[in-house]
Amino acid sequence: MKRTLTFIVIAAAFLQSTFTFAQDSRNRTVETIVADVLAQMPAQDKAAFNSNMADLAMSAPKSILVLASKMHAPVEGIGNNLVEYAIAGVTAYVSDPANSQYKAAVLEGLKIAAVQVGDFYNAQFMNEQARLLGAVPAPQELPLPGKEDVKAAKKMLASGNSGQMCAAAQTIVAASTPAKALKFLKKAFSNEDRPFRNAVLGFVTEKAGVDEVAKVLTKIFPKLSSEARTDAVNWFGDKGLSSAMDQVLTSVGAGGELGSAAVSAAGKIGGSMALNSLVGLLAKGNQDAYTALRSFKGDIAPTVMSALEADKGNTNLISLAAARGIKAAAPYAAALFKSPEKDKRLCGISALQAIGEVADAPAFISLIDKGSEVKEAANGLVALLRRLSPDEQYSTVKALQKGMANPERLYPVIAATNAAAAVEDLKNAWDGGDASALAALATMDNGKVAPLLLKALKGSQKGNESLLERFISLSGRYAEDSDDAFEALAQALQLAQTPKLKNKALKALEDVPTLKSFLLAGKYLDVPECAYTAAEVVKDIASFTKDELDYNTLKNTLTKAQDIFRSTGDADDGYAVDEISQIILKHEPGTVSELTPEEVAEGFEMLFDGTSLDKWQGNMEGYVPMNGTIYVSANYGSTGNLYTKKKYKDFIYRFEFCFLREGVNNGVGIRTPMDVDAAYDGMCEVQILDHDAPMYDGLREYQVHGSVYGIIPAKRIKHKPLGEWSTEEIIVRGTHVKVTVNGEVIVDGDVRKACKGHNVAPDGSSQNKYTVDHRNHPGLFNKEGYISFCGHGEGLKIRNVRIKEL
Amino acid sequence: MGQSRRDFLKKAGLGIAGLTILPRSVFGKMGEPGSTRVAPSDQLTRGIIGVGGIGMSGLHFASDEKCRLVAVCDVDANHLNRALEAGQTRFGTKLQAYTDWRDLVHDANVDIVHIATPSHWHGIMAVEAARAGKDIFCEKPMTRTIGEGKKVVDAVNKYGRIFRLDTWFRFKDTFYGLGTTVEPLKKLVDSGLLGWPLTVRISGATGFAWKFYWTGKENLVPEPVPQELDYDMWLGPAPEKPYNPHRVHQTFRGYWDYESGGLGDMGQHYIDPVQYILGKDDDFPVKVEVDAPQQHPDAVGIWRSITYTYADGCRIILEGEGFESEGKVPYLEGPLGKVYKGFECTIPNVMDVINSLPDPAPRHTDFLECVKDRQHFALDEKIGYHSATVVNMGACALRLNRTLHFDPAKQRFIGDDAANLLIDQPMRAPWASMI
Repeated sequence: MKRTLTFIVIAAAFLQSTFTFAQDSRNRTVETIVADVLAQMPAQDKAAFNSNMADLAMSAPKSILVLASKMHAPVEGIGNNLVEYAIAGVTAYVSDPANSQYKAAVLEGLKIAAVQVGDFYNAQFMNEQARLLGAVPAPQELPLPGKEDVKAAKKMLASGNSGQMCAAAQTIVAASTPAKALKFLKKAFSNEDRPFRNAVLGFVTEKAGVDEVAKVLTKIFPKLSSEARTDAVNWFGDKGLSSAMDQVLTSVGAGGELGSAAVSAAGKIGGSMALNSLVGLLAKGNQDAYTALRSFKGDIAPTVMSALEADKGNTNLISLAAARGIKAAAPYAAALFKSPEKDKRLCGISALQAIGEVADAPAFISLIDKGSEVKEAANGLVALLRRLSPDEQYSTVKALQKGMANPERLYPVIAATNAAAAVEDLKNAWDGGDASALAALATMDNGKVAPLLLKALKGSQKGNESLLERFISLSGRYAEDSDDAFEALAQALQLAQTPKLKNKALKALEDVPTLKSFLLAGKYLDVPECAYTAAEVVKDIASFTKDELDYNTLKNTLTKAQDIFRSTGDADDGYAVDEISQIILKHEPGTVSELTPEEVAEGFEMLFDGTSLDKWQGNMEGYVPMNGTIYVSANYGSTGNLYTKKKYKDFIYRFEFCFLREGVNNGVGIRTPMDVDAAYDGMCEVQILDHDAPMYDGLREYQVHGSVYGIIPAKRIKHKPLGEWSTEEIIVRGTHVKVTVNGEVIVDGDVRKACKGHNVAPDGSSQNKYTVDHRNHPGLFNKEGYISFCGHGEGLKIRNVRIKEL
Repeated sequence: MGQSRRDFLKKAGLGIAGLTILPRSVFGKMGEPGSTRVAPSDQLTRGIIGVGGIGMSGLHFASDEKCRLVAVCDVDANHLNRALEAGQTRFGTKLQAYTDWRDLVHDANVDIVHIATPSHWHGIMAVEAARAGKDIFCEKPMTRTIGEGKKVVDAVNKYGRIFRLDTWFRFKDTFYGLGTTVEPLKKLVDSGLLGWPLTVRISGATGFAWKFYWTGKENLVPEPVPQELDYDMWLGPAPEKPYNPHRVHQTFRGYWDYESGGLGDMGQHYIDPVQYILGKDDDFPVKVEVDAPQQHPDAVGIWRSITYTYADGCRIILEGEGFESEGKVPYLEGPLGKVYKGFECTIPNVMDVINSLPDPAPRHTDFLECVKDRQHFALDEKIGYHSATVVNMGACALRLNRTLHFDPAKQRFIGDDAANLLIDQPMRAPWASMI
């Protein structure tokens, strides 16, 4: 990384004269601040975002340059995401007016970084961030049109191209007075180009106002072409202009486009004149009038009723009355039931179901019993009864059924009540050999129906597709418990003959996310026509189930599903593949750690065996036991650490650790008080750091993994790949610290000797030339304290933590 | 109408058999005589830019007597060939194929330009189509920035065009978790029975999915551009970034340069009808608050909630996938009543009540009719701009990770320069000069 190193040197030299770096309250170097922030990218909430970005902002511009030095060109394939989060984050942070005091420093850093960073894409990124901080002046608004523009526009009017005539009109209207604009409008309305006419109408309305435009349009209205009148009438309607009612109503009879527009406009304008006219039109069957009256504002009932008085069987008026909820029209609707014309009877049914009362039910019954419009009348009756409770509906229907010659015709209505008694009633009818009762049962949205359907399915020779489909959807929703639901769906799978039904039954298993469902769906991964659905189902069950799944079964099944998604290869399938990897990882079994016989003999004590954090205190939210490990999802902060409950003096401390993501940063605090920075106020912090991550290019030697932070640099090891476990032992005896990782000793030294006894600067300054990080370490000679894990972000797993006091 | 297109074609000396496409240069500049064309007559024609997912869907890849599909354009040769073949097999038509959308926009045989590209192109294409005198059918989301949306509105007005944004729940179809169209909801709200102000919760808990699988990937490794793809043209105005298949085609909306993830994908579908229901088609929220993990500057991430507040106290709360409110929460909540998923309502016999209320004002919902009689479509450029802006305000707040205040009159954020800089995105040459 020669390039980045040179870059830092150049940038640092440049900056030295311009900026002084504000002292970090925790005595950290800018490099450390940056590393800490990177380990916590992206921030999960606003508090974390603000504290991280404040750190970067206060140490800008250098923080920006340190970050920039960690960027790699995309072709290197290393990835800059954490740095991008940090830089875009701090840009957003300082662009907040509340944090503007840091804006100049960040912008300065971005500008230098854009030049220095070398790679085109990274420079583009820096420039875009700089843009958001105002590096590029915002474009100016265009000036209003001048004389030359108007001249050119007038020429363009003659072009005959309607789009350009519209554009020209805009310029001309914008530059003219309201009076002139109105004259222009007059002329435009005699033009045959329709887009032009309408565009001018819009521009002039804006310029001169609705009232003035209305005056002009109503005046020239008689002279206009039919098409231009249509445009005017549409505009009158949109603006709700009652002053134009004459023009609108005289156009109503015109028929065609103009007539249609006039009716619609009359409805929008409203008023008694329009209402009378529209009701008159409706009575004659004008459909535009129907639409207009449905949305007509105000009480239209008296007008509609008086029209009905004069024309009792008018279906148009009755339909409107029903649509507008005019209950007084119900007797007219009921009268239609007796009409010899089918259309009129149908109109009566749909109207009465909307405005009738339960007392009107016998009218429906008589139609059904006669065999006239049975289906429509039954649906109408269902709608009419819906205002009653299911039980009331049922008893009403039963009472009505009694007098019927063809009582079985009411089965669909009985089913629609969805009452418990209805299930029993229809079941008895079915038992009595009436097949139409089964058809009615199948429409019920009631769980008690499912076993009946199953019985029917088993009894029939050929599979009945629609019954089975009903059975599946009822089983999924209404089973008493998950066992019942599973049994039902397992039966359905056996009964299903077609791929469509099998897949439907499989899909329904998702709603029963149990071990049994998982295993059953898994079997269908090998059935080609069901494989994709089965893959979806096992994935979803695995992520939602509360059942314990055997890890190997889970892994084998899900891997198979993953292969199916992979071979389908849609974008969504790519996500499914990723999701499955995560599910498998999450279920990876944990082990309960045990002391070895030697450790037992030597007197070691288990601090964390994989099951509970009983011997720990502090941040129990960021550090949680998961699959036999302590999983770290901590946010940084002095209260964010995990501490032993006991204090320790001399000890041997053993644990295993594993990095789940690049750049993990944590540490073991030694002999530390609570809620302080262990590296300074504790005896020390032994680094846990994925120093191999590219973002740690340029790390100081006393920051690498295992270092007694800022005091004794460790020998740099190469970490195992992400996800693999390493062992570590820390022995602390007096002022002596020995750190062994994977069997290799990487630190073996005395902290007192390392700083020649000066843990703080003898002259009382904040610069201490005796420590490698030139900071004061007031806690370095602590005799006892807690042992802690000092989190700087998520992605670390720890297990098998043991201690022996010496 | 003075001339039909066919008359024009004859006068221009082009027989039907020889529908030669004139090169763009002939039509290019305003005011040049060559740019003359006539308005559509009885049969309309349409060209689709972008025949990938949505452009090839059965809904849009269609041709009939009322509106003939005549041209297609794509920067992916595979997409284009697939469309040409489908044109042949489904409609027996030899579609005019373009690889540069400007040629389609200036094709004299095209009346309606259908924009079905990723949304970073929508603004430029719509403005150019308006300039070329075309009517526009644009897929949602309308534009990926607030600034581009404003320019589309200006251009459509200026050139007197008819514009339709393609989402439709404000006037038809079952509105997701509500289980009905929005019309009864609109009637209920207009009646005042729920009281005022209202809070709308768009969440998995109320039947709306935010599709968080449309998130981007960080650390994309550059890959060679496939031979069939003109990647530079695909990017167009967007910043030059190394090719990776995840940037383009189905997964493009996971990147801020082109869209804004599930929010961009579903936002206008979900929010546009809400603006209608609340009567906010002339208004904007005055405040947007976000609760989300920090966003990556390139790859769109997830969010927990986005809350919009209007000046009168109405609110729209979006709840991210996996962060839905627990228990039963209302979709619509006012001081006097609540409406839940599936139109369950605290007002007894609500459907009877709604039936007795007048319908909302009728709207023009047939786009082809609108083109013919020059009426504004029910979801025109202005309404589309308003609801797209609500979505884009949310995107700005997510990217800056803070609460933003908005001035509905000026359509600028208040006291926040960076947010105002996000109103426009820098564009690459030569596209910047086209909008």
